[in-house]
Parts: sequence; structure tokens; C-alpha cells
Amino acid sequence: MTNALQPNSNHEFEVQDIMINMGPQHPATHGVFRMVLAVDGEIVRDLIPHIGYMHRGAEKLSETMDFRQGIGFMDRTEYLAQFNAELAYVMAVEKLMDIEVPERAQWIRMILCELNRLSSHFMFTGAFGADAGVFGTSFIYAFRWREEILDLFEEITGDRLMYAYFRPGGLAWEVTDNFVERVHQVLALSRQGIKDVDGLVTNNEIFKARTQGVGVLTKEQAIDWGTTGPVLRASGVAMDVRRDEPYLFYDQVEFDIPVGQNGDVYDRWCLRIEEMRQSVRIVEQCLTKLQPGPIQPERMPRMLRTPPGEVYIRTEAPRGEFGIYMVSKGGNRPHRLKVRSSCFANLQSLRDMSIGQYVADAVLALGSMDIVLCEVDR
Amino acid sequence: MKGILKSMATTLSTFARKPVTREYPETHKELPERDRAFPVLLWDKEVHEPFCTGCHACERACPVECMTVLMKDNPAHKSVGGESSRRKIIDKFWIDYGRCMRCNICVEVCNFDAITMNNTWEGHEKSVYDRADLVQDLPMLLSEHRSGELKPWVNE
Amino acid sequence: MSTLFGLPVALDALIRVLIIVGVMTVVVMGLIYIERKVLARFQQRLGPTRTGPMGLLQSVADALKLVAKEDVRPTNADPWVFELAPFLVFVPTFLGFVVVPFALAWSVRDLDLGLFYILAVSSVNIIGWVMAGWASDNRYAMLGALRAVAQSISYELPLVMALIAVAMVADSLNISEIVRGQAVVPNIVWQPLPFLMFFICMLAEMNRPPFDIPVGESEVVGGPYVEYSGIRWSMFFLAEYASMFIMALLGAAVFLGGSAWPLGEQLGLPWQILLTVVKAGAIIFVVIWTRASFPRLRIDQLMSFSWKLLLPVSFAQIMVNGLILVYDLPYGMSHTLLAVCSAAGVLFVASAINRSVTRPRPRPVLISRSEAAR
Repeated sequence: MTNALQPNSNHEFEVQDIMINMGPQHPATHGVFRMVLAVDGEIVRDLIPHIGYMHRGAEKLSETMDFRQGIGFMDRTEYLAQFNAELAYVMAVEKLMDIEVPERAQWIRMILCELNRLSSHFMFTGAFGADAGVFGTSFIYAFRWREEILDLFEEITGDRLMYAYFRPGGLAWEVTDNFVERVHQVLALSRQGIKDVDGLVTNNEIFKARTQGVGVLTKEQAIDWGTTGPVLRASGVAMDVRRDEPYLFYDQVEFDIPVGQNGDVYDRWCLRIEEMRQSVRIVEQCLTKLQPGPIQPERMPRMLRTPPGEVYIRTEAPRGEFGIYMVSKGGNRPHRLKVRSSCFANLQSLRDMSIGQYVADAVLALGSMDIVLCEVDR
Repeated sequence: MKGILKSMATTLSTFARKPVTREYPETHKELPERDRAFPVLLWDKEVHEPFCTGCHACERACPVECMTVLMKDNPAHKSVGGESSRRKIIDKFWIDYGRCMRCNICVEVCNFDAITMNNTWEGHEKSVYDRADLVQDLPMLLSEHRSGELKPWVNE
Repeated sequence: MSTLFGLPVALDALIRVLIIVGVMTVVVMGLIYIERKVLARFQQRLGPTRTGPMGLLQSVADALKLVAKEDVRPTNADPWVFELAPFLVFVPTFLGFVVVPFALAWSVRDLDLGLFYILAVSSVNIIGWVMAGWASDNRYAMLGALRAVAQSISYELPLVMALIAVAMVADSLNISEIVRGQAVVPNIVWQPLPFLMFFICMLAEMNRPPFDIPVGESEVVGGPYVEYSGIRWSMFFLAEYASMFIMALLGAAVFLGGSAWPLGEQLGLPWQILLTVVKAGAIIFVVIWTRASFPRLRIDQLMSFSWKLLLPVSFAQIMVNGLILVYDLPYGMSHTLLAVCSAAGVLFVASAINRSVTRPRPRPVLISRSEAAR
């Protein structure tokens, strides 16, 4: 890794690369992330990422929280796909305790997780458009359409961003009476939003010129680095946890998984737009299958105590495979909670994506991976 | 060239729409009934005392330990000549809004339905110049419901 | 050369200078406000609303803030070059105001070489950028300045060629003559390709998106202006908006018929001014529209676009124009030929843009969930 920094004595003159520091505070680094680029003119020769600026000890803190208190911490671990993080946590507890979740709760969980995927992908389109230089327009569009989804979540759970709504066994409380109509409304607005964002950016020739052939990750490289989610699927590997190990009721709905062929930044953009459309499709199917019923099993103890054991749960978060590995030694707290963070694995592939490309392209490659620093650092 | 024209057509169609900006603080959004701002205590109008008996259940359940609770014998209990059926009553109660993470667990564990989340705009507009001013004591926590402004959401 | 109201020459010149300064300052501040409001509407939001009624005093507030800032100068900055650089960027754009016509007889000076003058004067700001980048004693400022200069020079050439093509058709370099010659049909009908090139090069000259690499916000640093603060920075900023105004007026005059079309001569002065303002406003609207819609081009893509596409096409346009005009064909035939060739040029440019990015590449496939996993 340090070879690039040695003077290159093949030339007549001694050539040394300049180190550019894209520091923790930078408009393009999506949170507190630092990369040190060794550049030769404009070409990146090496990339050294520095993470850990946002480490808050979430995993260690979770060892002091019982199974209801820890849900709020999972929200804050992945603050753009909160329902997904909460879901993984409560699924781990349910598996340890062998709890059967009522059907209605599962369908509602599925609807909320897919809506959360929609809002997270809207955020991606906004932030990535801002990286590519569409001055603010895609950012404002994305947030305007995301507001509709967040308003719905506020009506149901009471909070716009940190829901703490799932509980082991089901949901904390019943959804609002007009839930189905509201979700239909939000879906109609989201369709308009996807159309807007798609029309603004996807076919734009300048955008294509910026993103095609940039940040390429081959199939072998993607598998080697352990990437998952849209980054992996854009490189041609058809792997999606919702299809391979279905949780909730993903085996009862029809949806498609977009798989890219070129592994570049443009493919990742198109893939996420297509995933947004598929999410809308999934939510519509779930709404037809929603029946009245209980949202918690009948006999739930006040204080949950899990038998000793360990479990690994994987879910398909918007950014990849979000996994929870929980070890319990009896009692009402996890003995060890490990979060398999999708962004952490994806971030390792940044170096392979950026070497040989221009500096501006390294910024785009970082943006296309859609990282959330809270998840990388926990 | 078509993509460029399509981008421009999308922006032009947005130009024709009405702006969605809400001019805060002159206009406020209508908060939903379940909105979760910070916790406040409820006042029992029939016997003129708080519902809270100081049982420490919420204090123990809080993930971030933001509450301090002290209970006392109720001077208005029936056995000493009052009208209330609460043997113990809350003496002092502090919640540090700076630590609270609004997770709603205190509301869920309360046996007496004495605490709820504030769902008004006053619950959200809590800016102060000194972080110590965020610590709320018992009269401050009771004032919202006592004055009648609060219509708390009750989860059946 | 007649003077205003028969005043002595020196006083007359002074009054004209004051007119320029006064009008331009007000216009530039108004233009900043208009851009913020219009850009906000493209994004479905309101622009400034709090400073003054409907936010009208926002530019004044910005100007006051910039004037009150501390004048920071790097220790190792070359003092004279650092001081003079903003002036060299700012003054030439104001000088361009001298020849643009507002109405048929209303420009500050009606020069016979008007077009030549404005092109010459507007390229002096390149030196200003180099001075700014060099004097800042900052590696990134120098890089940014060199990029800005490279971009400017590359797009200067097609701009000049486009305007020469129109001058050939109008047979004069005097802008008022060109305007008068459009009393029946505006030049854009005969020469759409030069208008397209003029528009693109205008965006590049002013460092506006999609050509705003030198002042890119999410790039490494802020370009040649990074070490300037307060009023010096505001001079660079105002120069950009002033040149936007000048170029819009020039485009309206040379291509869209200025104050002469549709019925300029007949309907008198207020109508002519209205026409000019509306046409310049339309061009400015489209400039802001492109800012809201497009991502930024990378520096190498920008350069290859200019040198490999725009410049050869502009040369071809001039040669075709010359070929058609050298034979004294009747008006109808010559002008129809001009229009047809130019329209063909526009189609060629559009298809070249298409072909450069839409190489056939495999599209994402949709795999249904029920297909067996791997």
C-alpha cells in the first residue's frame, strides 16, 4: 500500500506523489470520514481511508441495555434505515426466545421497512446529485419527497427519525386508523418523486459522462471485499438476502432484483432508482394482504429474559447486508452484540474503485457507495 | 441531447408547482396526535394532585438515566383527612431534557398513567442558552397539563 | 459623435461613465436577487423572504456583510498583484457595457467596431484570474486559476467564431447596425448554430454551471478566489453577474433582434426598451434554468468538448457562411441556405453529444424473486 508513496526512480527526475487530505469536514465526504489520496497530477495512485470519528461505543453500551432499551440505540446506529436496524435486533431476540410474531405485525413491519428503504434511497439520490454537481436541485427534490414519508412515520410512531417502534414479538402500539389510505397516498407521491428524480438526472448526458466507466468494481473484487447490497449487485452478482434467506414475508410477494452489468457508478444509481420502484411494488402487495389482528403475542412477559445462546440474523438494509450477532448468557441483556455493518465492508472497496481514476471520480465513487458513518463506526 | 432536454423539462415542471416552504416560526405544521416531544407529568384534576406516586419505575427503565425521583407520604391521603387514595405522592422529580432520548419507555412502564410525551409545539421548542436550564423540575413538568394545553395521546 | 444635450466632451464622458456605474450596480444587485428567487422556484421553495418585503433587500444585506468583513491577505502574497487582480476582472466587464444597445439609438457609445471591442475587452479578465491565483501564494488557488484560464481560453474561440459568423450575415461589426438589420427577421432564424454556441460559450466564460469547475463547491477548494475575502471577493462575484447581464444583452441584440423586432422602429422608445429587457431576461432565465438542471462537467471533458466539437463546427459554420455569401445570391435563397446549413449543424452537434456518451452498454437486468437463488 505504501509503494505508491516511494519516489519513482524510473523517470529521469524523481517523481513523488502529492498527498491530498479530504479531511473529516468536507462537503463531499458524507459524514465525518477522512481520506488521504496520493495523487500524481490528477490521477489517484493510492487511497487511505481513516474512520472512527463517529465511534460512540454503541455495541458496548448495548450490553448495559435490556431488550427494550436497546432498540433506541439501534435506531441511532443506522439513522437512515432505522426500521431495518430495529428489525434485525428484535428478530435476534425473537429467535433466541422462540417467539412467534403475529401476522399483522409482520406485514406492518414489512411495509415500514420498505418505506424506509424508499426514504433512504431518496436521500441517496439527493446527496449523490449534490456530489455530481447538480447544484442543490436533486438534493431539494429528494428531501421534499422524503418529507412525505417522514410525515407518515411521524403519524404512526410519533417521531420523524428515531422511531423505537418495533418490540420483540411485534410492534409497540397499533398503527393509526387511516393507515392504509395514508400509505396509498404516500406511495402515489413517491411515484411522482421517483419520476422527478429520474427525469432530472438519469438520462442527462452530462451525468452519464461523469458516471459511466467511473468507480468500476469487478465481480471478483466485489466478492473479495465482502461488499453487499447495491454495490455488489451493480457488479453483476445477484445476491439479495430477501430472496436468498427470506425473512418477514418476502417469500409471499413478487418483486424483481435489479442486477447491473458494468459495476460502475452509473449502474449503482440506476439500480437504486429501480429498487425504489420495486419497493413501491412490494408495499402495494403488502397492503392488500394486511388483515386485522393482534400485534403482539398473547403472553408476553414484562421483562424479557432470553435463554443462553447465540444467533446471527441478516437483513437486507438499503445499503447491504445488515447483520446482528447476539450472544446471550441468560438474563435480560445481551452479553455481546455485534453489528455486521454493511457500509463498513463496502467502504473497504473504495480503494479498488478509485485507483487509476481522477480525484473528482474518487469523490463520486465514495458517494455512490452511500455510506452512513454511524454504521461504519457504531 | 434528449437527456439534457428531459432534465430541463423536469425542472420546468417543478417551476410551475407551488412552493412547499413553510415559513417557520410564523406558521407551524400541524403536529399529529402521537407526536413525541419530551415527557411531562399529568395532573389529576379531581383531587388536585399529580397522578405520579414516585414509584421509580420510569427512573429504572430509562436507558439514559435522565430522571431523578423522590417520593413522600401523601399529606392529602384519606387516612390523614384528605380526599386522595394515593398513599405516597411525588415529592421531587427532575428530568434532564438534555439526556432524554424520547424513547417512550417511561410512558410504557408507568403503572399509574402519570407520565406522557408532550405532543405540542412547546414540547419541541426548548432552546436555552445554558444546558443546565434544560433540567425540568416538578412544577415545570406539571404546568403543561395543569394549564389545560396538553391533550395527551393515550394508547389503548 | 454628438454629446448629450450639447455639453462639453469631458462632462459628457463623465456623465456616461456615471450612467454605466450606476445602472450596472443596481442591475447586478437585482440580478443576484432574481437568480436566488428563480433558482428557488425551480426547486419548489421560496427564495429570500425575510430581508425587506419579499426579501428585496437581500443583496443589500449581502453587500453590507461583505464590506464589513476583515481584509485578510496572505503574508507571502505579492502585494501589488494581489491588489490589482480583482480590478482586472471587474473593470473589463463594466467596459463591455459601453457598446450594448438598449434601444435603437441608445447605447453609451455607438462604436463601428462594437462587436470586436466587446470580445476584446471581455477576455482581459483571464489575466485577472492568473494574477489572483499566482498572488495568493496557495497551491490550490494556482491550480484553480489555471483551470479557469484553460476553460476560458478554450471557450473564447468558439464564441468569437460564432459572433463572426453572425457578423458575416449582417455585414457589419457595429452592434446597432446588426440590430437594425433584424427589423424583419431575427438572426436566430438564419443562424441557430451560432446561437447555441454563443449560449454554451457564454456559460463557460462566466464559470456558470455546468462549467463551474473553477468555482466548484464540492471540489477540493474554491478555485482562484480562495484567499480573497470581503469586498475583494465581492468584486469577483459581481463581475460574474455583470458579465452575465452584458452577455445576455449582447445575445438579445445580436441574435434575438434586440429592440428592432417585432415592431421596434414603429412603436417608439418604451416598446424598444421593453423588448430588450424581455429578451435579455429570457436568456438570463435559461441560464438560471441550466444552473438548476445540470451536473458539473469534469475539466477534461469540458476541454475536449470545446476543442474537439465546438471549435471545428464553428470553423465549418464560417466556411459555409462564406461560401454562401460570396456568390451574390438573391436574399431569399441565400438566407434559406444559411438557415438550412446552420440547422444541420445544430443537429450534428446534438447527435455528437448523444453518441459520445451513449455507447451501447448492457443495462441492468431484473431478476424475479421467485427464480432459484444462485
